[in-house]
Amino acid sequence: MSRNKVLAITAAVIFLGAVIWCAVILLKPKSNIVNITQDGTLLYSLDLSREKDRTFTVEYKDRKNTIEIKDGRIRMLEAECPDHICVDTGWLEDVPIVCLPNRLVIDHADKTDTDAQTR
Amino acid sequence: MNTKKLTYMAMLTTISLIIFIVELRIPTLAPIPGMKLGLANIITVYAVYTLNVKKVGMIVFARILLGSMFSGNISALIYSISGAVLCLLGMLILRKMIGKEQLWLCSIFGAIFHNIGQTAAAVFVMKTTTVIAYLPFLLVSGCIAGLFTGLCATYIIRSERYTMRSEETSR
Repeated sequence: MSRNKVLAITAAVIFLGAVIWCAVILLKPKSNIVNITQDGTLLYSLDLSREKDRTFTVEYKDRKNTIEIKDGRIRMLEAECPDHICVDTGWLEDVPIVCLPNRLVIDHADKTDTDAQTR
Repeated sequence: MNTKKLTYMAMLTTISLIIFIVELRIPTLAPIPGMKLGLANIITVYAVYTLNVKKVGMIVFARILLGSMFSGNISALIYSISGAVLCLLGMLILRKMIGKEQLWLCSIFGAIFHNIGQTAAAVFVMKTTTVIAYLPFLLVSGCIAGLFTGLCATYIIRSERYTMRSEETSR
């Protein structure tokens, strides 16, 4: 087998692997516990099924991020950053909400952790 | 470096910057940080296959620095640079193994390396591994975009050869 064929197959395997990995992330069962992390430190750990509807702000170097909780869902309502990708992500579902400029991450806690908590 | 070479490289940088700025106007398909078509990399791939290491590096870094200033998103610079470094290293090694006709394959690997570099920088900056959840989505879009930019560069190189040949015959 020629070197090019080996490389082409490697590329195809990486591509298919990535597709499967995407599916795994999208199909993973989600817990109700949501972690809000900034710059590597955990700010809040919220149980969405118990939270009341509210909005609150998180600051990073004088730039504000407004987070909204409504009907057991969470999203970034406003962000003072150049790209607004975190706002465009919408409600937290499968992929974590990330604000790269303000180093803020909103993500579901691992399912295993919450199982341990509820038992 | 003589004037001709300098002008040639400046022209390549300008073309890639123009492509970069036009691409800023295209809305992204999915709200994934770092997801982009990366059309400016048509020039990167072209340069990797026609120029030496030093010149490719100069063109790419001039584009990234100026591009981040023009787009006004300087905080994204660290992700672009770490992606570009890994991408260039990978492509310059693969250049020796993959011929000009299979350039698209090198371009796909370039995109994969770029995504890995980007994500590694994000993990480092954000101090959390959560952002790795974006890597598979970046890889899928990166492979497709890489194939497209690679094919574009292939056609540029091919048509360039054709024009050179027809110029020779017309003389």
